[in-house]
Amino acid sequence: MAGPPLIRLAGICKSFGKVHANRDVSLTVAEGKILALLGENGAGKSTLMAILAGQIQPDSGDIFLREKKVQFTSTEKAIKAGIGMVYQHFKLVEAMTVAENVFLGQSGGWWLNWAKMHRQVVDLAEQYGMKINPAARIRDLSMGEKQQVEILKLLHRKSTVLIFDEPTAVLTPAEAENLFATMKLMVGKGKGIVFISHKLEEVMAIADTIAILRRGEVVAGMAAAEVTSTAELAECMVGREVLLQVDRLPLEPRQMVLKVTDLGDYGLRGVNLELRQGEIVGLVGVAGNGQKQLVEMVCGLRRPTGNSLRILGLEWARFFRSAGWDKALAYIPEDRQGLATCPGLSLIDNFLLTTRGGFVRGPWLLRQQAGIKALRLMQEFDIRPPDLGAFAWQLSGGNLQKMVLAREFYRKPRLIVAEQPTQGLDIAATEDVWKLLLEAREAAGILLVTGDLAEAIALADRIGVMYNGEMVDLFAVDDAEKVALIPQMMAGLASGEPSAV
Amino acid sequence: MLPMRIVKRQEPLGFGGSFFVIFSALVVSLLLSAFLLFLGGTPPVRGMSVLFQGAFGSRWALEDSVLKAIPIFLCSLGVAVAFRLKIWNIGAEGQFALGAIGATWIALSFPAWPKHFLLPAMIVMAMVGGGLWGLIPALLRQRLKTNEIIVTLMMNYIAILLLDYLVYGVWKDPRSFGFPMTPMFSEQAIVGKIGSTSINWGLAHCLILGLVVWVFFRFTRVGFEIKASGDNVRAARYAGLPYDRLVVLVMVLSGALAGWAGFLEASATVNRLQPSIMVGYGYTAIVVAWLARLHPASIGVAAILLAGLRVGVESLQLDLQVPSAFGGIIEGLILLTVLAGGLFTHYRFAWRRKI
Repeated sequence: MAGPPLIRLAGICKSFGKVHANRDVSLTVAEGKILALLGENGAGKSTLMAILAGQIQPDSGDIFLREKKVQFTSTEKAIKAGIGMVYQHFKLVEAMTVAENVFLGQSGGWWLNWAKMHRQVVDLAEQYGMKINPAARIRDLSMGEKQQVEILKLLHRKSTVLIFDEPTAVLTPAEAENLFATMKLMVGKGKGIVFISHKLEEVMAIADTIAILRRGEVVAGMAAAEVTSTAELAECMVGREVLLQVDRLPLEPRQMVLKVTDLGDYGLRGVNLELRQGEIVGLVGVAGNGQKQLVEMVCGLRRPTGNSLRILGLEWARFFRSAGWDKALAYIPEDRQGLATCPGLSLIDNFLLTTRGGFVRGPWLLRQQAGIKALRLMQEFDIRPPDLGAFAWQLSGGNLQKMVLAREFYRKPRLIVAEQPTQGLDIAATEDVWKLLLEAREAAGILLVTGDLAEAIALADRIGVMYNGEMVDLFAVDDAEKVALIPQMMAGLASGEPSAV
Repeated sequence: MLPMRIVKRQEPLGFGGSFFVIFSALVVSLLLSAFLLFLGGTPPVRGMSVLFQGAFGSRWALEDSVLKAIPIFLCSLGVAVAFRLKIWNIGAEGQFALGAIGATWIALSFPAWPKHFLLPAMIVMAMVGGGLWGLIPALLRQRLKTNEIIVTLMMNYIAILLLDYLVYGVWKDPRSFGFPMTPMFSEQAIVGKIGSTSINWGLAHCLILGLVVWVFFRFTRVGFEIKASGDNVRAARYAGLPYDRLVVLVMVLSGALAGWAGFLEASATVNRLQPSIMVGYGYTAIVVAWLARLHPASIGVAAILLAGLRVGVESLQLDLQVPSAFGGIIEGLILLTVLAGGLFTHYRFAWRRKI
């Protein structure tokens, strides 16, 4: 099937402020082939797909449709050109039936012929190995079935390139198998597929070619047949080249601030971890292998069932009942806009969000005093605009992150959980954040969850690797042998047991 | 395709801009109302002028508007407290009724108490009644995950029926010739009028309570916590704010303020409990709260405006035989245009560039 490629991207660049979301990305989607796009969160996959779907326009670079240059200035144009997206969050009308959803928004005659519509949906589904009742209501369907409806929508409007954004994240293993079978049938009929994922085994199993994105760039492209091991992919994904050097003098670890013993809730499997004041433990692993659950339990957003979490020497429940606003726990989440701040409130109110305990007298909130402190912090951290009345939604991602860091460090925490703290930041800001974290070790133990191996190696004293809910291994960063094995561990190939030498 | 596209504002709309949007929304709704008058065969210009004359054109009219604004203001202050947390309390009407019932119970039970005991006791009971009517939906929401919009709305009908039951039955005045009303309150149970006007001292209650609510949200820790939780529930959980307790708190406060309005209406306006006090102030309060963007001072202005509308429509009915339901139509139009105007405070329109 050697025709011109369905879609070819050439030198796509897109920046948001100083951050390059995509830098000189070139990719080809061929007829009858599955292209897998691998990358950590924030590597630029979503931006690239939004460009393909016509939601945003690239700063430079071209898109070719069967070698004819096109511009997707709107989503309608992209759809007309035959590009269809299956989003992670389905875009279906829950109260309507399968057939109604498939035909929704498509031009046709004035009258609806239900029997014919149902027949068409069933026919289409059968062609691609799906079994679905066209009269079923969406809200009664399983996640896998809902996804089938999304796919049917695209097939019905004759999309030639289908983009799947982490399609298996919501599926059961059996449903995922079905999806793969459907995808094979689709490429068999000449469609092109882009498969976005960070599940390495899946990519190996289904893709024809693999492109790996990191920090907005395509760092590797290869035919799936050439890849010998998932570890190879993991290594490309997290990278190891040193972008930035910071001096890290080891400190004497002191008091224990976090102790996790045999934690097994929410899909975790017997996780053990000890963290002491004065050290940074870097938690690496492909996203979705239990890091989120662990962090959310440590930070009090999820309740562990047993007694396996102790923070600053207290049991989990007692800690969260008695913890004061300062000298306790600070959480710097990955989701700055959705979790760490209130977008609709001013910066002073956002500063008070977690520090309010320090600015109360009786029932009163001492906004004036807080304002003086916050203003000083804003100068110190160079947050722009330096205006306490500005709303959080007006700040750029980097400034918002600095605001969160300023606020959390002001609380003089003794346990810090930092999740992807430099994601989306430029090099200078990254360096600032790294220095801050190293300084904070003086008084705190830091759990650093990162998708960037270079970051973990630069900052951490010890590194823990998570795979499938398990802590595969936890070792000192100067154990070169173990560090070299990290990609294997991330891919679930190395057990991390001390190798018999 | 439209020649324009919608762009999200990068800078928030300033005070002047917001005011202009709301003012324009009001103008648009009044133009639409005038058009409806025209369709109904009433001269629209004359109709609108009668409406305004009737509302604010004379001392009597103005006093009546202020009088009606008092319960609307307090109910609106109440729903605004809940709306700050994005808890949709549609039950001010029922909470108002329970407040009136609570106050009446004290007034009828202890008519001989001295004024400075009796009135505060009536207020406390009114707040307890209204607060209870707010507490129930809050607890149901928490325990059974019910939707507070539906529960508060349905509880309005329960409250109105309860009020009817009392005035048609146990509390009915034997000397009322069969009219559904309680006996007149004793002298001590009545909030008096200011000087020679027909406006009662409830106006002073409004000023004080409005100030208290403003101070509460601006200067207290709990007020801040409500504001923050209302903006982002996830951030509230992240920052360890007691969200569930705040929900209960705002619903009780909200109900208590509406209950206070019920107390004033029974004690100061009709001097007894009767079904005629239930004229939908609790629903008007929702429109007022949105119109005022939940700010206490603006609620005051908006309350007088919509109270004036109610008074003006009476003139419209007398002079031009326009059905009184027309007031409800204008009120609905105002709410719709103000909500639609919200688009302009967050977005602006830009001309589509030719490509």
